[in-house]
Amino acid sequence: MDPTQLTIAEASRAVADGSLSPVALAEGYLDRIAALDGELHSYVLVLRDEALAAARELAAGRSRGALHGIPIGLKDIYKTRGIRTTAGSRRYLDHVPEEDAETWTKLRDAGTVLLGKQETHEFAIGGPDFTLPFEPAHNPWNTAHYPAGSSSGSAVAVAAGLCAAAMGSDTGGSIRGPAAYCGIVGLKPTYGRVSRRGVFPLSYTLDHCGPLTRTVEDCAIMMQALAGYDPADPGSAEVPVPDYRAALSTRLDGVRIGVIRHFHERDAVADFGSSSAPTPTYIAAFDAACRTLESLGARISDLQLSPLIDYVDANRLIMISEAYALHEKDFRERPQDFGHHMFARIGLGAFLSAADYVEATRQRRELCVEFARAIDGLDLVVCANSTGPAPPIDALPTFGTVERASYTGPFNLTGSPALSVPIGFEDRLPLAFQIVGKPFDEAGVMRVGHAFEQATDFHRHRPAIADSLA
Amino acid sequence: MPSPISAERFAILVEQAGLKLTPEQFEELRQAHQFVERMQRSVRRPRDRAAEPAHIFVHPRA
Repeated sequence: MDPTQLTIAEASRAVADGSLSPVALAEGYLDRIAALDGELHSYVLVLRDEALAAARELAAGRSRGALHGIPIGLKDIYKTRGIRTTAGSRRYLDHVPEEDAETWTKLRDAGTVLLGKQETHEFAIGGPDFTLPFEPAHNPWNTAHYPAGSSSGSAVAVAAGLCAAAMGSDTGGSIRGPAAYCGIVGLKPTYGRVSRRGVFPLSYTLDHCGPLTRTVEDCAIMMQALAGYDPADPGSAEVPVPDYRAALSTRLDGVRIGVIRHFHERDAVADFGSSSAPTPTYIAAFDAACRTLESLGARISDLQLSPLIDYVDANRLIMISEAYALHEKDFRERPQDFGHHMFARIGLGAFLSAADYVEATRQRRELCVEFARAIDGLDLVVCANSTGPAPPIDALPTFGTVERASYTGPFNLTGSPALSVPIGFEDRLPLAFQIVGKPFDEAGVMRVGHAFEQATDFHRHRPAIADSLA
Repeated sequence: MPSPISAERFAILVEQAGLKLTPEQFEELRQAHQFVERMQRSVRRPRDRAAEPAHIFVHPRA
């Protein structure tokens, strides 16, 4: 058995019983990267020698738990001490941080092995941009297609079997979008649940760090190491961390789930135009997924919120304003350093005012209250994710980030935990929906995701390239 | 589709922002200014004066 075909849960058991060495596991992934990543471009830096040294040390030491010897990757906005961290930008091509991201410290302490740094859209917003030094990552299901972003390299690597798990970041959907298009699991935890310290910011009040994995159980294992209070992150929350894996279940009896249908069935086209229309196949897959939840014992009801555009525009206005403030000096003094998409998308922030920003944050509070009240009589909600298959990578409009509907941005605005889970395929490309919970109820969200996964087989499908060396 | 902001008016906004744009960047951002206007309209609505922003000042821990 090729050890890179194993989930984290399976590899962890094999490492624990001695049938699999962390060194063999790391070598397996590194060989796959060498063989396949020339086509996929998911890594911007491979740390072969460092990874093998770390694996040897772990093989000789005592077990650190479920992540002992598990090879992972980090989106190249996570700072790594002594290891180049570029944020996908020319500005930081030679940047070698002196500190680690808190999340990487936690994962390293938990026994993971860092295989390398993974391709990101420039500063987690400007991509896919073929004018930048690093080629954008390609979708492993069809390399002519977009894997979504900005955690593109991380999602591609997980889906293609080039790491067991990866870390992404999510300000408007940058974990959940790539998870959807690549057919894997991606969790944006509650704002404050996972430290952002040492991760290049895009938008301070909307940024979230979280894992991308092949299964929900693997996501739970990663979250056990990642969750927790960080006093050095001003947004971090001091909330107890439950046993995520223990909360997983195959039944959902009595779980009350609200379904937000009007976002994709009505609002997308009404407010953003026909280019945002969900495909008929997507609508059918979403409805079938809801029926599956019902068959597992969940009580399903429709949920009505304000129109999607109210959430999306507030999210985008805040994000662009905060990102522009962060980069304003460089926009004025060294604009040539930015890639085309980053400059165009965040450049719009030059034309927003302080009053615009304050109004957006007032709207944010109103919508957060609305969502909290709507979900009060429920346990969680489900909502569309990207409502069709991945488009060709060379056919993406520069301003798609503000032009088109987004089903993920609303939950950056509310700070809610939101999990993307595969629900089907269209044109041999994956489809997904989101499971969204109450603040700090990642356990509830993963419980539903795991039960859905066990009742279906979408997560077992892998792109042909993932099995090409098996 | 609303008409884009005039080149004359947009040039003033660009100057106020302190940006130096190439002709291509100027035209691209001018055409995209409609999205800024949409977002501005979208977040402006009648509100009670006491309606507070989502994030308010909190004292940092020492």
